[in-house]
This record gives sequence, C-alpha cells and structure tokens, in this order.
Amino acid sequence: MTRHVTLAGLTLAAGLALAALPAAADDGAAFPMPEGKLYLEECGGCHTAYAPGLLPARSWKKMMAELEHHFGEDATFGAEAEKAVSALLTELAADGRRANTLMRRIAGSIPAADAPQRISGTPFFKFMHDEVPNSFWKRTKIGTAANCVACHTRANLGRYYEREVSIPK
Amino acid sequence: MKISILAMTLALAYSGLTSAATPQQILAELNAKAGGSSVARGEKLYRGQFGGEIKSCMGCHTEDARASGRHVKTHKAIEPLAPVANKERFTDMAKVEKWFRRNCKEVLARECTAQEKADFTAYMLSLK
Repeated sequence: MTRHVTLAGLTLAAGLALAALPAAADDGAAFPMPEGKLYLEECGGCHTAYAPGLLPARSWKKMMAELEHHFGEDATFGAEAEKAVSALLTELAADGRRANTLMRRIAGSIPAADAPQRISGTPFFKFMHDEVPNSFWKRTKIGTAANCVACHTRANLGRYYEREVSIPK
Repeated sequence: MKISILAMTLALAYSGLTSAATPQQILAELNAKAGGSSVARGEKLYRGQFGGEIKSCMGCHTEDARASGRHVKTHKAIEPLAPVANKERFTDMAKVEKWFRRNCKEVLARECTAQEKADFTAYMLSLK
C-alpha cells in the first residue's frame, strides 16, 4: 500500500514538473543538447553526457576552470576543445539564452552565490528523486546518482521523461 | 547567435583534427617512439596493481579486455578495449594519447612512458 502511495506521489510530482513544459516539447528533448560528437565524446566518455541545462552557467564555468581536478581526475582534453565545450555549456545552461521553463525552474532553485558542481546535490534533483529508495541506488547497474543513463534510458539525448525511465534490477 | 556560431565553428574545427588509422599503424607509431614493444610487459601493465586512485586497468575494463566494462566510479558502461572486440579502438592517435594520459594518471598516478604505451598497445592487439 505504502509503495503504491509513494509511486503515485512520484508520478504526480514528475507530472506537475513536466506539466510546466509546452506540449510540443513532449516530442523533442526535455533539455537541449549540444550538437555534434564533441560534447558526447569529451563529456560523455566517463559518465552520462549530462544536459547542460541541469546546472547554471556559473557552475559549468567553475567546472571547466577546474577540469584538471575533476572529481579526483584529470579530465582536461586540450585548450581548443575545452573552449568549444565551454561555449556550448554556457549557451545551453539552465540560465542560458535557450532555457525552457524546466531549466529556468532549476536555475531559480539554486542560490545566486552557489555554483554547485554535483547535479545530484541540487534542490531540483533531490526533489525529483525524493522517493527513490536507497537500495535502488546501490544496484550494480546503477551504483551512483551520477549514472543517469542507467534508469533514464535516453539521458544522453537530454530526455528525462518519466515514461522513458526503466529501473534495472 | 554569436555564441552559437562560435561554438559550432570551434566544434567543427576540433572534429577536423581527428584522423583514422588502423590499430597496426597506431602500434607501429608507438613502437617507433619506444624502439619496440613486448606483449608480455603490456599484459603485466594491464593486470598490475598500482598506486593511483583506481588501482588497476582491470578496475574498469575487467580481467578480459575483450569484454564490456563498467567505470568503477561513475558506473557508466564501457565498450570493450581490445580491437578484436571493438573496431573503433586504437584507430585515432589523438584519442589513444588522450586516454593514456588520463588513465595512466588515474591508475599509475603518473603519465605512462613511450615504452609502456607501446607495450600496452601490443598486448591489446595480441588479443584474438
């Protein structure tokens, strides 16, 4: 019974969040993704190619400046390519010029003085995943909240729709 | 608009830098820099335990480089590393150098020598 209630709650919360999107967005991506292979290869080599719209521009700026110590790893990939990726991130950031309603909502939930580096630490992420049991995160095929694509099957396309979620056993 | 054109130009300029090669050509180039290579030394490097943040290549690429792996920290699925199981591997010297630089620092806590790169690549190409 509890399970039904929590799942219903999760669906309702997701529904409310997505209801804010224009109907046409349902056919495309929830978040715009950089075109071409560069972003996918350089920022999707070790982890999910996160949608730039999940964090504000100031977060990405800080991240790109500290790429040599990127969550404990040297993730630098050459000044020219880094400059190109920085421009893509700025353009498609949560507070960027192409921000949709959902992205603006994410940007608005982050205090102006903060430049969060972990998407999973942002208020929006926590709200959306509030009802996911701890045991789910520990499953081998999931392992960490950084592994979006484990459940959000089309995360690399910037799509995080509830109906495209498939939680591995 | 200005930013998007800049981004596109930079992205295109960057994609133009990569060039296709065969794994044999990549190995020949690395061999030339190292003055030869050893499959046995390459396997020892692959299977060795080191002092970096991730202790071994096998941490992500598994005991069999022909198998799919999983990133030990992010849990992202990793395609097989050995060319016999993945035609895209060792076909782009810029990519090969990038991943050696990144992963050697990660596992050995230093960059690999020219000898180690040649040995490692020789081992990868020896897998059938």
